[in-house]
Amino acid sequence: MSTYTVDGPLFAAMVRGGARNLGANRKIVNDLNVFPVPDGDTGDNMFMTIDSGTSAGSDFGSLDQAASGISRGMLLGARGNSGVILSRIFAGISKGVEGSSQVPVTEFGSAMRSGVEESYQAVSKPVEGTILTVWREAVSYANERIREDSSLEAYFDDLIREMRASLERTPERLEVLKAAGVVDSGGAGLVYIAEGMRSALLNQMDKENGKETAAGRKPTDFNLFTEDSELIYGYCTEFLLRFQRVKVEKHQPDMQEITDYLNRIGDSVVAFRDGSILKVHVHTKTPGEVLNYFQTYGEFLTLKIENMTLQNSEVTIENRFHESVTMNAGEAAIDNLLDESNLPQNRDNTLDNPLDLSSMKHRKTCGIVAVAAGEGLRRTFSELGCDCVVDGGQSMNPSALDLVKAIRSINAETVLVFPNNSNILLTARQAAELCPDVRVLVIPSRDIGQGYAAISMLDTDFTDADALQEELSEIMEGVVTAAVSPASRDTYVDGVPVKKGDYIGFVGDRIYVDEPDPVQALLALADQIDAGDYDIVLLFCGKDTTPEMDRQAEAALKDSFRRAEVISVKGDQPIYNYLLILE
Amino acid sequence: MYVIFTDTDTDMTPKEAEKYGYHLISMPYSIDGRTTYPYVDFDEFDPHAFYQQLRDGALPNTSAISEEQYIQYFEPFFAEGKDILYVHFSRAMSATFENMDRAVARLKEEYPERSFYTVDTKGISLVSLNIVKEVGDMYLAGRTPQDILVWAEEEVDRFAVYFFADDLKFFHHSGRVSGLSATMGTLLGIRPIIYMDQEGKMVSIGKEKGRRKAIDHLVSRVEELGDNIRDHRILIGAADNQEIIDQLVEELTRRLGPDLPIELADVNPTAGSHCGPDTMGICFHAVHR
Repeated sequence: MSTYTVDGPLFAAMVRGGARNLGANRKIVNDLNVFPVPDGDTGDNMFMTIDSGTSAGSDFGSLDQAASGISRGMLLGARGNSGVILSRIFAGISKGVEGSSQVPVTEFGSAMRSGVEESYQAVSKPVEGTILTVWREAVSYANERIREDSSLEAYFDDLIREMRASLERTPERLEVLKAAGVVDSGGAGLVYIAEGMRSALLNQMDKENGKETAAGRKPTDFNLFTEDSELIYGYCTEFLLRFQRVKVEKHQPDMQEITDYLNRIGDSVVAFRDGSILKVHVHTKTPGEVLNYFQTYGEFLTLKIENMTLQNSEVTIENRFHESVTMNAGEAAIDNLLDESNLPQNRDNTLDNPLDLSSMKHRKTCGIVAVAAGEGLRRTFSELGCDCVVDGGQSMNPSALDLVKAIRSINAETVLVFPNNSNILLTARQAAELCPDVRVLVIPSRDIGQGYAAISMLDTDFTDADALQEELSEIMEGVVTAAVSPASRDTYVDGVPVKKGDYIGFVGDRIYVDEPDPVQALLALADQIDAGDYDIVLLFCGKDTTPEMDRQAEAALKDSFRRAEVISVKGDQPIYNYLLILE
Repeated sequence: MYVIFTDTDTDMTPKEAEKYGYHLISMPYSIDGRTTYPYVDFDEFDPHAFYQQLRDGALPNTSAISEEQYIQYFEPFFAEGKDILYVHFSRAMSATFENMDRAVARLKEEYPERSFYTVDTKGISLVSLNIVKEVGDMYLAGRTPQDILVWAEEEVDRFAVYFFADDLKFFHHSGRVSGLSATMGTLLGIRPIIYMDQEGKMVSIGKEKGRRKAIDHLVSRVEELGDNIRDHRILIGAADNQEIIDQLVEELTRRLGPDLPIELADVNPTAGSHCGPDTMGICFHAVHR
């Protein structure tokens, strides 16, 4: 059987297939690490990005609706640079199919092409040999081969053939990949997605059955829930509901009220409205009550209730996603803000909404959002004057939505966002774009040290934003962030033999030392980079070091660098046993 | 015939007070509910012991002395037929002066022919000490209270003091510095630069990262604002930290030349209760504060 057109349900099913395949292979993508530090979460980031797209996408209706729902979900859920680029690819595709209920293969090819353009625009300096190249080359290759009678299956065969070839070529394009002996991780993630899309296409039973494909699921083991089992996780309850005119006439649906209700009765709430259709996802112990509640508004189009204890095998992935990108009431409000149909001119019922005192709070001139991982580091940034510190960093990049939420949580004329990680920079910029009504300045702090240096010297009474950005850039250039971390594999870099399990000391991507002990690595590193030449030697101790080790490290630093001010703080950060900031 | 008074908040010690003939009013502080009157409850101030207590976590409070206490200080001299000139720490920093006003009003009823003069140094610690010493010099030279008041009118605002703290905890606790970011709870090497303004209040006017840059900043202020600095004392004080004093003196001499009339002072415990250990400052004669 061949397919010649793409419609909404097919596209949604394909993207779900892509998400599923990436989810199954995300560890492989994570492991494509340029640097011998266990930090590359490209697979997780891309998976969470596409997964927020599929959660938001419609399983029904036109291609336009399906693609725009998926795109919007992905833009909000985007994490990490690869995740942002991925979300832009799908945003481009969505633009390309705007207004179409279904498209033939040729037009689908053009939409894929618009995904290339959109993704290149997402980055200020596109780097070849990355996810961008893999997509661009594959789409060109496949589009050139579209004939009058080409099927979608043939198109995807071409696409994937070239994606694999292009992925293989990435080390030739990018020196760092070659040196590390890996292919680009973002590109690899994209190949898994495309392959999953192709599988879904070839296995179109997915189209009819929504998420519940027999092929995609493991058989359920009912022994996981016995006569004596306790209901701990509740039921994953998902449905689509059509608002019924006769019912809503009496009781107008208010999304705020609905999400509030869901948050009271359960968690992991996703609820949004698309015209007269409501999509709900909630984990609850009393699904019956949820159904009765919603039946007062309309009737169910689809319904799925699953005991989550039995879902165990999939739960880990889902939980990780929902813990971090749960759409709760506040986010639903953001979602509304992002939805142009909800702009004020179309909304005549503002007076019906409850009085929002938070909007009357004193508006500050300047608010600060920073990203940091580890309780101690987050506390430190709060104490430095940040209004909102978003959890995240090298190992766990926040989503654009997390940052949008943070920006929205501050009542300020201008919000400065410090991503504090080069892999969060694009997400921060995307979040800024998603808040067009707030003046957001993304200060490109590439690591914790730059964030500390800039925020600590920030004058929040600034008047000239350009001058401020320039001043902060200068401050950030003057700081050195060195780190100690366990080596995740054997390698030989910068003349330093690195042994897996040892601790490496590095600045940026330059490795200076490899020692069997983290404190030794720290001290050797400090010595090599002449820490004593700086005024401030700020040590953030990670979550995996003991107080005894931290005391020893601090004392040794003070002893070696008497002229410098040595300050030690428990940062509790993951991955880095020690972060040494020199200024 | 008049006598001169000052208080311990000006960093004046009994030893030096004696040289000028100053009578010393003891301004108290308390730690864990125990109130201490400097040079009443101890003979000699041990800066290291005091500031070490603060480093170890003690958070002192300061308190105003009462109307009765002022009467006890002043009445004997009025009774002897002597007038009083009191060179005191900043009125803007303490409610104690309202008690003083009431005490003086009461005494005036009893001794209507007596005069009570005040010089508000519009500062505490170093800047007050510098003015107290200049006034002391004039007193020893036989100048009248009127001469001194005329001088003070012009000159008090020309003794500038710039300083930086090591820990914001004490300023936050005392609440006596304006312009400090209220949200900033930690310093992590940041040094807010603070000065005493013309109203005698502590105002934060910037910040530097690290002691060395903060010291540079203080010396730059001397270069920028200094006026006849060699004709007046340059007072340098630190709350128990000789090392930073040495660094400041070195930088100052390097940039402004040798033979500066530098005098060192220990920041008194009551002022130290507001600024905390390792605070460092410099007071010099300036075109303005």
